[in-house]
Amino acid sequence: MAGSALRRLMAEYKQLTLNPPEGIIAGPTSEENYFEWEALITGPEGTCFEGGVFPAKLIFPSDYPLSPPKMSFTCDMFHPNIYSDGRVCISILHAPGDDPMGYESSNERWSPVQSVEKILLSVISMLAEPNDESGANVDAAKMWRDDREGFNKVAETLVRKTLGIPTSK
Amino acid sequence: MTSTTAVAISLVLSSCVVANAFRQKKQFYPSIVYICKSNPSMAIMYMQALVAVYLIGKLTGKLFFGSLRPAESERLIEKAWYAVTETCLAFTIFKDDLSPKFVALFTLLLFLKCFHWLAEDRVDYMERTPVISYIFHLRIWLLLSILTLGDIYFVHDAYTTTMIKGPSVQLVFGFEYALLITLAANAAFKYVLHAVDVHSDTFWESKAVLLLYLEFFIGMCKAVMYVVFLIIMVRTYTIPLFAFRPMYHTLRNFKKVFQDLVLSRRAIHNMNTLYPDATLQDLQAIENVCIICREDMTAAAAKKLPCNHIFHTSCLRSWFQRHQTCPTCRLDILRPTPLTTQNSNAPIPATPTPGRRAQETPLTDASASSSATDNSHGPSTSNHTHAPSGQAGSSGNSYYNQTPIQYQFRPFTFQQRSTSIDEINRSNSDNSNNGIPESNNMNESWISFMNAAGRSGGIGPSTLFNDLPPSTSNFPFTPQVPLHLPFVGGIAIQRPNMPPNLDTLSDEELRVMEENTRQGCLARLKYITDIKCMLDAAAVMMNHYSSARLVAGLDNTDSTLNSETKTSDITENDEQSESRPSSNISSETDSSTSSGVTSSSSGSEDQLIQEETEQQRIIRLKRLEKFGSNST
Repeated sequence: MAGSALRRLMAEYKQLTLNPPEGIIAGPTSEENYFEWEALITGPEGTCFEGGVFPAKLIFPSDYPLSPPKMSFTCDMFHPNIYSDGRVCISILHAPGDDPMGYESSNERWSPVQSVEKILLSVISMLAEPNDESGANVDAAKMWRDDREGFNKVAETLVRKTLGIPTSK
Repeated sequence: MTSTTAVAISLVLSSCVVANAFRQKKQFYPSIVYICKSNPSMAIMYMQALVAVYLIGKLTGKLFFGSLRPAESERLIEKAWYAVTETCLAFTIFKDDLSPKFVALFTLLLFLKCFHWLAEDRVDYMERTPVISYIFHLRIWLLLSILTLGDIYFVHDAYTTTMIKGPSVQLVFGFEYALLITLAANAAFKYVLHAVDVHSDTFWESKAVLLLYLEFFIGMCKAVMYVVFLIIMVRTYTIPLFAFRPMYHTLRNFKKVFQDLVLSRRAIHNMNTLYPDATLQDLQAIENVCIICREDMTAAAAKKLPCNHIFHTSCLRSWFQRHQTCPTCRLDILRPTPLTTQNSNAPIPATPTPGRRAQETPLTDASASSSATDNSHGPSTSNHTHAPSGQAGSSGNSYYNQTPIQYQFRPFTFQQRSTSIDEINRSNSDNSNNGIPESNNMNESWISFMNAAGRSGGIGPSTLFNDLPPSTSNFPFTPQVPLHLPFVGGIAIQRPNMPPNLDTLSDEELRVMEENTRQGCLARLKYITDIKCMLDAAAVMMNHYSSARLVAGLDNTDSTLNSETKTSDITENDEQSESRPSSNISSETDSSTSSGVTSSSSGSEDQLIQEETEQQRIIRLKRLEKFGSNST
């Protein structure tokens, strides 16, 4: 019998395919390997990331859902909570116990109740409202705080890049 | 791409060197000697050897693993870098032994290590993929047996060399290969577990537990090995710096696994013994889906946590191996908060004590139910909020569960109290539907209180209550049985805490209490509240006594009970259950009754008492003893 992780991932995939939430597409990279997913996330409306479609990948551990998956954007991102190599830094992706930034309370950490859908939805809300205290990307956090216009401009170029539209400049 | 060019360059260079040598010397042996004597040629030949090792590695890798997945090669490169750095550090210790042979041996070691890591990754991958081919099994079998044999050979080799020639760099090799054996063994056991799991048609529940145990034992082996190695190295050479990083990791992992094991065992034990199976109604209420695995639940295979969340038993078990919290609301399973336990009736002792429960007699139910009525019917005055001495029942229980952490300098009293609380708590739930139970042991509690307070005046429970039902004597008489002052005079009185013997406090504990830290404050507050509780209890007793004395002035002819105790002089209003026997109040309280408050209802009671016959009084007395449970 296949592992419980695999069955849960299949169940989530089915759920996401049947009732896709708005602005999210996600699924395994191949039918052979359900533990690596690709996701497309649309930038939330009314924010500087509006209109963008950002590809990301999710790597699931073999003991999913007991441990959280790892998520990273595969496109260029400039955001206070995304490392420059694309890794996403949100508390829901951290297992209770390890706290890379030392500020999260345990009730916003990973637990088996969370799901791919919830992760992606929190990433969308993270795009809309960055947490400049976490500072995975300090430059972006500083810019977000001090130079919002500049930040918006960078975000716009990123959005255009993901859509393949040349920048307006 | 870069690797192919590197290989090509190396090949070209080495063939150049060989061609050059042959061109100059014309014969085989002279050209070999020429190459060996010229440093640049040798450098190139070493490079070529390295490239050859790399190529062989690629080839065998292809043979055993097929193409590597990106994640695998990523992990491999990361680990290899660490291994190379540590090897370089190791060279600093053995710089006298440094020779091409040792470099070659270290390369071989690294090479084999890579294969061990890959084998581990592959075995883990078994869990992730739905399709496992026969080739996969064959490869893993072959690989693991070859690796294990190789490791054993090298360990043996290192052992014999060290025994014959004394300690040398072989020590490190022997140790490294011994570690690799544990890696191979780990992979092999995991492989077996996964293979069994794959071939079984049903979900194998105990697999996760077995895996945890496996991790524990492998971690223990590794930790022991590292410590032994460290000792040997320090005694023969110097501190092995290169081993510190992996040693630290191993020890930390081992500690974590050990903690997980202990806590999860406790949590799982709690789950198995205490939490109820979910009922069909419960399941329907949450759409019958276990939120951990997203699959349907059946009533038999689902458990309900104290926070009313329901999950598969097997899912909970594997989650408890990581964290001992409710997945949904993060309630700490091992230490529930008083609030939650008060709301739910299920008892949740942090440390399940099946042994203790076995000793429990049905009689203890009485104290429990009396305390339960206490809690529920008392108009909940200010006493209710500061609960250091523990409200009876479940909230008290959870309080005591925390006690050993906060007040570690009172282990003696804690032990005793937690026992009784445990019993109470347990029986509390047992007895919830028994109607009105007898609460004879209330008197025992009173006596114990008096005894402990040193004013019993030599009155034992047997002399006092020899008219009680015989079963009472089964009740284990401990001087520190908690006293349940029930509903008296409209005020719910807390069970007073027996003060511990303060002489036994060590200097350290006293110093802690004096400090201005949280712990110190809490400890002081604790004693103050204890004192307050005892004062409250004393005041209540005075109340009772004064009302009893009023009656005693009118009716002094009691023959059934020991006149010394004045038990018979108790007032009672038949409808009221608020009064209680003031059986064993001694002469000491007698002298201080001036402070006692006159009972408000004593006037009407006097008249009633005068009309009572002897028999009626005995009946009334017996009923009095039950009054704690009398809810009307």
